[in-house]
Amino acid sequence: MRTYEELFIVKPDAPEEEVDQFVEQLRTQLTTGGATVDKVEKWGKRRLAYRVDKYREGAYVLLEFTAASEVVKELERRLRVADLVIKFLTVRVDHTRKRLEKRKKQRDKRAAKRAASAPPPSAAVPGAPGAVHAGEAPAMPGQPKES
Amino acid sequence: MPEFKGRPGSAGQRPTGGDKAVVSQKKQYFRRKKICRFCVEKMDDINYKDVKTLHAFVAERGKIVPRRISGVCAPHQRRLTDAIKKARNIALLPFASQG
Repeated sequence: MRTYEELFIVKPDAPEEEVDQFVEQLRTQLTTGGATVDKVEKWGKRRLAYRVDKYREGAYVLLEFTAASEVVKELERRLRVADLVIKFLTVRVDHTRKRLEKRKKQRDKRAAKRAASAPPPSAAVPGAPGAVHAGEAPAMPGQPKES
Repeated sequence: MPEFKGRPGSAGQRPTGGDKAVVSQKKQYFRRKKICRFCVEKMDDINYKDVKTLHAFVAERGKIVPRRISGVCAPHQRRLTDAIKKARNIALLPFASQG
C-alpha cells in the first residue's frame, strides 16, 4: 500500500454538482478497490499557466489516498476517459513524507542538543581578549565540536 | 568585536557570512556569498503545489533559475527542479511564457 496524491483539473464550465458527483464516483471506485481516501480538497477555479484544450482556467481538485498500484492504474484510466477532466497528475508521496519526517526528527534532535550545550560558552565569552582563541570552539554554535 | 577575530571558518555566526568574499588588492570587488534560501529557512519540503515559492525560482520566461545565480545548494536545487517540473505538468507553472 502506498500513499498517492492525485491532482486533476476539471473544466471550468462544469457545474459544481457534476464535479461533486464525479469526485464521489472516484471515491467509491477507490474504496471498492481496497483503498482509503484520506483527503479531498477543492481548490476552486484558477488560471492555468498555459492553455489546455482551449481552456485558460480550470478547477483544481486534490485527492489523497492510500492504495495498491493497480487501483491507481484504474483511477488514471478513468480520469483519462472522463470528459470533465482536462489534465491530471499522480504523485507518490509516502517516500517523501518519510524522508521529511526523518529530517525533522534530526533537526529537533540537533536543536535540543544545541540548546543543552549553548548556555555555558556564552557565559565564558566576556573573558580577556587573550582567552578568546582558546574559548573559540565552544563559543561558535556552527562548529561541529563533537567530532 | 574581539569574538569575530578568529579563523575565517568560524564566521558561521553571521548568516550572510562574508567568509567567501573575494577582496583582491588589484581589483577592488566584493562578491557577496550567496546562501541557499531553503537551508536558511530550514525548509525541507519543496512541494510542487507551493506555487508561490516556486515562482521565485523561475525566470520571466518560465525557465528554471540556475543555482549559480540563485545560490541554492545542490540537494535543494535537485528537489526544486523536480517540483517545478511537476508544477509545469499540471499547469501551475508555464513551460514557456510568451513575451
